[in-house]
Amino acid sequence: MKLLDFPAYLRDTAFRLLPHRARTGLFPIGDPGPGAPVLVTGNFTLTVRRLRDVLAGQAAWLLVVNSKGFNVWCAAGGGHLTHHDIISAMRVAHLADKVSHREVILPQLAATGVERRAITTATGFETRWGPARLEDLPAFLGRGSRVFNAERFMRFPGWERQEMAAIWYAPALILLTPILWFALGPAAALAGSAGLVVMVATLFAMLPRFNPLGRWRLPILLGFGLFGALAGWGLLAASGGATLWPLIAIGTTNLIGTGLLFMDLSGTTPWYPSVVNTGANPATITLNEARCNGSGDCVMVCPRQVLKMNGRRRKVEIREPAQCIQCGACIVQCPRDALLFRYADGSTVEAPTIRNTRLNLLGKRRTLHR
Amino acid sequence: MSSFVWMKVLESTPERYDRGISMLSGGRIGEVYQRIAEIAAVPARRVLDIGCGTGAVTLACATRGAVVTGIDINAEMLDVARAKPVPEGGSAVFLQRAAAEIEDLFGEASLGAVVSCLAFSEMSVEEQDYALETALTRLVPGGVIVIADEAEPATGFRRLLHRLRRLPVVVATYLVTQTSTRPLAGLTGRMRAAGFAEVTQERMLSGAFLIARGRRP
Repeated sequence: MKLLDFPAYLRDTAFRLLPHRARTGLFPIGDPGPGAPVLVTGNFTLTVRRLRDVLAGQAAWLLVVNSKGFNVWCAAGGGHLTHHDIISAMRVAHLADKVSHREVILPQLAATGVERRAITTATGFETRWGPARLEDLPAFLGRGSRVFNAERFMRFPGWERQEMAAIWYAPALILLTPILWFALGPAAALAGSAGLVVMVATLFAMLPRFNPLGRWRLPILLGFGLFGALAGWGLLAASGGATLWPLIAIGTTNLIGTGLLFMDLSGTTPWYPSVVNTGANPATITLNEARCNGSGDCVMVCPRQVLKMNGRRRKVEIREPAQCIQCGACIVQCPRDALLFRYADGSTVEAPTIRNTRLNLLGKRRTLHR
Repeated sequence: MSSFVWMKVLESTPERYDRGISMLSGGRIGEVYQRIAEIAAVPARRVLDIGCGTGAVTLACATRGAVVTGIDINAEMLDVARAKPVPEGGSAVFLQRAAAEIEDLFGEASLGAVVSCLAFSEMSVEEQDYALETALTRLVPGGVIVIADEAEPATGFRRLLHRLRRLPVVVATYLVTQTSTRPLAGLTGRMRAAGFAEVTQERMLSGAFLIARGRRP
């Protein structure tokens, strides 16, 4: 990353909940000729900047699609990045006149919203899924645009967990610190802010060690809240300002912080289904084996190793249903509509509904499947 | 009238979109729909509504006897549109397509009018230009284009007032939906650049809404 880009990186990271629109269009990476590969992405500024960094030294075309300033995963799930948007971008950029081949490489995490075949039908371009994570792109391109199995699955390294922690505490600090400063003075404001940051950062650092959807999630989060409050109280005591109201304010701040995290902590991880998506009515991915023709389209887009191809039988198998984060990508991509969600009451949601609703935000699938 | 940014909130519940938009405009959004239809729709004229949403403009045009196709990317909004009764005398068809897919649906010089309401501000500038250029070729000579969208007031003080009123709505919308709308700027200039003639504009709803129109020469 260039030094000059750092303030923008901080802005995009801290305010990642908000859309940040990059310029759309077709951009050269290095010195691409007409035969260079075309990589598709959304117009979230952080993603575009990282792509440029990671692709330095490569020769490729970057087609930045209007995802309304959201990252690919959120935009595709929320209906802001669809095959219609990609078709638009290809036509607006006159891609067919700029390259000699007829293939675009799609970001795998767009699979919830993007239907590949519609792109081919409308533009004549074939499509191929790239790796799930952009840092795997150089190796992917080096192999002639072939994805290794391991590159399809989501990782959540420590530095990325800290980035996600920042999207929780940065807006909170902007709102809370001035209030604490104004009401109780600088010592209380700094101690309260530091306690909150320590609490959230520690929680995300330890995320692999507990399940934010498990039955103990509330006590665990309250424990983190108490830990943050203790950190703040300790700092306050060290500064000699440990009076009643600042102590209460710091405890309350951490309690509110844990309450907000409780709402959808799992949704800021790539490992667990978002509560906003599943609600209190989680579904189980189910295969209608009679319909499956073994195309493997579903296996290519699952970020959680839920599905596996049985080559001998030429059928897909659901190996790890508990790992499913209910993104619906496999259901959307199946050419035979062989996959579906089944609810605890026995009702089902099939592919046409998933293709319309994308994620189940605010429970909208629930009204449709009854 | 700054509150059209709430459109994105309402889109999350398409069934309530029409009622919400009407409430946010103080019951006056219907005036905009009717004005668009008044300019663009005549009996038996083929009309395309780009970004039709729940179909209010499409059906306003169909009420005047036009043969209307509404296109939108959002499948749920289209479901709501299809559930509405089509007025006698006109016809309305709703398809899931983006503005850059017009060329897949209509041949050259096959449309009498192209309309769009609260959709262009959702597109990138490049998409807007492409849609305008394609719309021009799909219109018959003399065919009309009408684009209505949120706009900022023209004068400095009113623009400042508009932005101040808009700010809390923008923040609230970000918190609820993580998105926002943006006022449309420079539209009439781009319409002229695309090749439209007789380009004029009018403002409605205290200056916060722009209706631009033009003709294919």
